[in-house]
Amino acid sequence: MSGVVCRNVEKLFDTAAGPIKVLKGVDFEANPGELTMLVGPSGCGKTTLISLFAGLLSGATGSIEVFGRDINRMPAGDLVTYRLGSVGFIFQQYNLMAGLSARENAAVPLIVAGRSWEEALPEADRLLQRLGLGEHLEKLPSQLSGGQQQRVAIARGLIHRPRLLLCDEPTAALDKDSGRTVMSLLRDLAVHPDRAAVIVTHDPRVYGFADRIVSMEDGRVTKVETKSVSGFSEHEE
Amino acid sequence: MLLHDQAKYLALVLGISFATLLISQQSAIFHSLLLSSARDLSEVDQAEIWVMKPTVETFDESDSMSELTVSRVRSVPGVEWAVPYYQSTSRLKTEKGRIKVVQVIGIDDSSMVAAPRRMLMGSVTDLLRPDAIIVDASGFKAIFPDQELRTGIRVEVGECRGVIVGICHLGPSWSGMPRIYARRSLAVRMARETLNPVTYVLVRTRGNLLPNDVCREIERRTSLTARTRSEFADATIGWILKYSGVAENFGITILLGVVIGVAIVGQTFYMFSLENLKQFATLKAIGLKNERIMLMIAQQAAFVATIGYCLGIGLASLFFAVSSPALTGGLRGMFMDPWIFGGTGTFILVVTFIGCYAGVRRVLNVDPAIVFRG
Repeated sequence: MSGVVCRNVEKLFDTAAGPIKVLKGVDFEANPGELTMLVGPSGCGKTTLISLFAGLLSGATGSIEVFGRDINRMPAGDLVTYRLGSVGFIFQQYNLMAGLSARENAAVPLIVAGRSWEEALPEADRLLQRLGLGEHLEKLPSQLSGGQQQRVAIARGLIHRPRLLLCDEPTAALDKDSGRTVMSLLRDLAVHPDRAAVIVTHDPRVYGFADRIVSMEDGRVTKVETKSVSGFSEHEE
Repeated sequence: MLLHDQAKYLALVLGISFATLLISQQSAIFHSLLLSSARDLSEVDQAEIWVMKPTVETFDESDSMSELTVSRVRSVPGVEWAVPYYQSTSRLKTEKGRIKVVQVIGIDDSSMVAAPRRMLMGSVTDLLRPDAIIVDASGFKAIFPDQELRTGIRVEVGECRGVIVGICHLGPSWSGMPRIYARRSLAVRMARETLNPVTYVLVRTRGNLLPNDVCREIERRTSLTARTRSEFADATIGWILKYSGVAENFGITILLGVVIGVAIVGQTFYMFSLENLKQFATLKAIGLKNERIMLMIAQQAAFVATIGYCLGIGLASLFFAVSSPALTGGLRGMFMDPWIFGGTGTFILVVTFIGCYAGVRRVLNVDPAIVFRG
């Protein structure tokens, strides 16, 4: 089964100056078991596209299927359930809860889904230990470095085993070494035969971690590169 | 989330404490003042009915009647006994020439109905001695500020000689004047009102008759107004509420407490939601619904409201605990009725939730898609 497949997606935004077409017939695929990077200059429509995948934006034309479900025609109430069960998020600024410890932050999606803290925290602990944060479980976000906070965010994004992982500039706020560590962990933990991972990034230093790189410009996909044994091979769109 | 932000948490707790203190303390004083307006009625618990001229609206603004009135009331069927009661104001002069306007209460010479119940010095029967008067303790302190409570002091009331033979304890009165008790025959002379020596006729009903029924019978047969004690107390309190302006004054202060509470809670929660908007948006993006976000915030609001309420009500209680035992002063006899604890608590909870809702509306409307915007 395909992970994310969208065909001829268009999205208009109403502004004071009149409607602006941000996506102009986008075709896109992200396969399960692969790390897909969405790259391109600011304002090219990357964020709008992943917001549509996440079910956070509606009103686009065309079709957007995530693991066979057409989320572009899903009722608003079902979108909340879809996000809760099927989507994991990792953000540029981490967006951790300041008053919760690392393990509590990681456990949040399970709590939101109705699990008890007693059930959720041991799972969070196991995941954080795999991410190398076993000694920082009780620390607050303010007591962690940027790289450590992003690792907590990765744990939060993966703890409920989502089928789609959406990452927005996960290394933008990190130095080179921390960025590589985070990408390496993300690659090890996020890539799974049942999961599609889409990463929006500006950072060319991390392109090497991708299985597929989709370039966008002015609301269109302009180039798709897939990794082979000899490196990336390019397919013009 | 809120509890982690110590500055806002402290601001909320202090704001709610202050609002609680203001609301509970002012409500208690207002309530005590209203009760004091009908205090003298409750002191006379032997009589079930008070008979008066139809023009009388409130206890303190009485109008005198002739001696004959008592006999007319006694002749009404259903009346077991009826005794005259007299009250007026007069001028008291001490041996040192100090002058004080006092409330003179004349009780029935023979039955002693309406005599003070709680004597601190002397006894009610001492009123039978020549020129005898009993002064209430706080009145004594007002007349003789430098002296300890004692009997045997000679004074002049009106143009009559008086000897303090007893000191009684009374709750504070609405007028705040010292009160002196005397036999009615002496009291009317002290007030220089010998023609109409009766202000009220106190009545006890016979057998199982209802006081209300006897009141109607007295009114029908005498053309006077007859009220049960509770009716007269309610009428007096109603008059105070309507004409004294005290309700407006206390109402403004209590309203101020509410405004301060709502403003501080609303402003703090607004700042809190603004600073944590991205975190709330993240929770919504993950799949948390508005109802659960509201529940989460309401739990934190209820927690700070409880802490703030406990601190505020504790301070108010401390205020009354310290001020109440004093025999004199404007706060004498003020107290906090249990309903003020419950009422203020409910009020504070409502105020906190209103302020909280006003402050966090933005969170409910936040678009979770902002999580992907820088």
